[in-house]
Amino acid sequence: MSSTKSTSLLARLSRSIEIRMLGLALVLGLILSLASEYFLTTNNLLNLLDQSVVIGVVAVGMTFVILTGGIDLSVGSVAGFTGIILGLAMREMPIPAALLLAIACGALIGLLAGVLVAVFGLAPFVVTLGMMAICRSLAYVISGQQSISDVPESLGRLVDSSTLGVPMNVVILIACYAVAWVYLTWAKGGRTIYAIGSNIEAARIAGLAATRYRILVYVICSALSTLSVALIAGQLLSIDPLAGNGMELDAIAAVVIGGASLFGGRGSVIGTLMGVFIMVMIRNGMNLLGISPFWQGAAIGSIIIGAVLIERLMARRTTR
Amino acid sequence: MLTTQGIIKRFGAVTVLDGIDFELQSGEVHALFGANGAGKSTLSKLIAGHLQPNGGQISLNGHACNFRSPREALEAGVAMVMQETSLAPDLPVFENVFLPLYGSKGRAKFSELRLKTSTILAQLGVADEIDPQDRTGDLSAAHRQLVEIARALALNARVIIFDEPTTSLSPSETDKLFAVMDRLRAEGRAMIFVSHRLEELFTITDRVTVLRDGGVAAHGVRTADLNQAELIRLMIGRDVESVSRDTLPAAEGGGEPVLAVRNLQAGALVRDVSFTLHKGEILGLGGLVGAGRSETLEAIFGLRAIQHGEIRFHDKPFRANHPLEAIRAGFGYLAEDRRAQSILPDLSVRENLLVAALSAQRSLWARYERFRERAAQLAIKLDLPPHRLDDESMFSFSGGMQQKVLLMRWLLLEPEVLLLDEPTKGIDIGARTAIYKLLRAVAAEGVSVLVVSSDFQELIDLCDRVVPISDGCSIGAVPAAMLDEEKLLMLAAPRSSMADQRAWIDRMAVKYDAAVFWVIVDGDSLICLAASPDSAATLGFSSGAVSLIAQTRVPQALVQTGGRGVVGETDGTTTLLLRVRNARGHDLGVIGLTFKSDVSPGQVTQLRDEIAEDIAGQGNENILLTF
Repeated sequence: MSSTKSTSLLARLSRSIEIRMLGLALVLGLILSLASEYFLTTNNLLNLLDQSVVIGVVAVGMTFVILTGGIDLSVGSVAGFTGIILGLAMREMPIPAALLLAIACGALIGLLAGVLVAVFGLAPFVVTLGMMAICRSLAYVISGQQSISDVPESLGRLVDSSTLGVPMNVVILIACYAVAWVYLTWAKGGRTIYAIGSNIEAARIAGLAATRYRILVYVICSALSTLSVALIAGQLLSIDPLAGNGMELDAIAAVVIGGASLFGGRGSVIGTLMGVFIMVMIRNGMNLLGISPFWQGAAIGSIIIGAVLIERLMARRTTR
Repeated sequence: MLTTQGIIKRFGAVTVLDGIDFELQSGEVHALFGANGAGKSTLSKLIAGHLQPNGGQISLNGHACNFRSPREALEAGVAMVMQETSLAPDLPVFENVFLPLYGSKGRAKFSELRLKTSTILAQLGVADEIDPQDRTGDLSAAHRQLVEIARALALNARVIIFDEPTTSLSPSETDKLFAVMDRLRAEGRAMIFVSHRLEELFTITDRVTVLRDGGVAAHGVRTADLNQAELIRLMIGRDVESVSRDTLPAAEGGGEPVLAVRNLQAGALVRDVSFTLHKGEILGLGGLVGAGRSETLEAIFGLRAIQHGEIRFHDKPFRANHPLEAIRAGFGYLAEDRRAQSILPDLSVRENLLVAALSAQRSLWARYERFRERAAQLAIKLDLPPHRLDDESMFSFSGGMQQKVLLMRWLLLEPEVLLLDEPTKGIDIGARTAIYKLLRAVAAEGVSVLVVSSDFQELIDLCDRVVPISDGCSIGAVPAAMLDEEKLLMLAAPRSSMADQRAWIDRMAVKYDAAVFWVIVDGDSLICLAASPDSAATLGFSSGAVSLIAQTRVPQALVQTGGRGVVGETDGTTTLLLRVRNARGHDLGVIGLTFKSDVSPGQVTQLRDEIAEDIAGQGNENILLTF
């Protein structure tokens, strides 16, 4: 569908959010590599990727939700809650079964939120704000306020294993983005999600299953939150009921920096991935340059506002 | 007084105005006329400083004056009365009138402003209708517009631009606006009147400048020297293909019934709608806004719950719970509001075009490519350049082009039944003709089309038959050839008593074994608003009929009495006629009972009293009978 011949390739590229955000990420990388000689080392780059994994996986799900015009504030708490479920389950059953159980629980929470939003018509902000409080509270209750530190070594080995020199968690990250990109770009469901976010009334009249896909995005988002907490557990070999605290803001920030519209209908997972990289690079760069970590919030906040401002100015130029 | 020379305006890569010369004299109303997207609004915004030209020169009284902002234009005496009003609804009228002054230096004295506002309103001749203290948001649309005009006068504007000023006005309000414009013209002010309503243009303007595709098609021609056809030809650059009826397939009885709706009740607005749509037929639903026409389409398409009634599709019961079920069954539905209900603003034109195809398919992948060829073919049929389907956004299209794309959205699916709600609303005559032609063509191919339109002339021209809908109740189906706008309006005029009357008629028919009818007698013809079931054989007409009285089976009753009394007909039947009025004495027509069994005149008198008693006993305030 993007095989437009009437516009030049360059003009089309400069109009695509993904390319612009890739540009921004490259510029940032260039500045950092000039500022610190350590930045461009293999070790640091792998470190960057590693730091991108957890927030990156959550941000994929958040992109789905935001594309429909919704928002999910509960991702961090869902991670905390289902992380505890995972930890407890691994005591009772083999790891794959425990993983499946935890992800199913995450999906179920998403299903509940999705039904409240899509069927009962509650505001996504309110529903997921409520879910956020409920899940965090349940995480404390079922964990007995204790972190679970008897995570089996084999989960750690699974996450740390590498294929062709690429760590497992990075493979998972890339797989998530590749599948999501293909689905959102080429699949009927993906296009439906864009249509819903763009004009839900029109999508419904055109016969699209708006309700079903609006529920689905919350299911995907919550399930991916659970996947992210499994990756954390594999790295730390411990699960804390506080896991994922503040993750929702990082994920939303990545999606917004990646050019998505909070009103829905516009955005892409590639943009989101760039948003994740930009955020991680800023944190990493500031560490390398020895800048106090308390400045990180100011820097990321400025990038969020700056990215949206640039997007708005570009949009105004193209519509004039 | 005001001239423009070689005005050029581009939006991005699109050149909207390409070298416009325009000249406005004092003491005239000058029409800017053209199809949607011809550049009328853009030119007026340039003159009023809302936009800046990319080239060319605007001069006022011989001085160059390319205004950089609306404020500069206002200070120079050029004001624009906007399509969507630019008033602050919570402020009182006098503050809105002097709002532009709030940006200037010095202190405003409320008492003085109030007084000045009263003077201006008096000048407009509406001092007794609008109080300067009124909250602006509480005023009617027409009065708000007058406040905007007052604002222009407060700044002593010599040039006033009216951009589609009559869109939200009723006919009487429009007359009042024109009276005000006359007065302003007499004072020597110059006015630009942007509109595409022909009648108004001929009523109020002195000269016309016609824009077409960003150029000038006619320069300040005297309005009196033109007629409607010439003006339309200038506007679209070719002769309008007349929407003649000769290509029409046969009406009722021609094709087999495809969709039959019986006693449909859905929500508060659709109360009792019945009609039959045949194969290859264009059937219109004619009624006023709020009559339940759009809601009928929504109910059929699965967008609205049905409380009662039956829909049969190909003689099998049909009920869609979701649009997708209707789409898969072979329905297409063009909603009334393009922007709110049809356009996906963030998606490309091609995806907008293919969204219904997307929902109809069952595969995992969005298989857009296989529609490419058919889309291009359809585009050509609709006079739409196929390469425009690759545009990024629907908003680079005019209303007419958008509507063509949305129509194509459904035609791509090769539907059996097309449900169209106001298919030509807000689009120019050229696009309208293309759409009519296409609808005729698809109907000829066997597609059944159900059209809702507020434009009665359009229904009569386009449709084979029209089903009048009055207050949620349908009234038969009338061949369009027998209708004119007046008759259709007569049938469709809202009658709150309709449902009650109809129930009463059916009850009387059973009780007295009679054919009961409700008609309006108009000279030598009658318009039947309702008739009891199976009465056509006795009466010679049925519900919704527009017939000559002489051709009915009960002519004597209707002619001799002018609608009252008792008469024996030639074939031995007896008809009792009762004149109906509402509580305020407004004539509602005639109700008649034609008795199937023999009755003597004495019996009839007795029956008459019985019926009158029955009505009174109902406590029905909507119906009063006089004899």
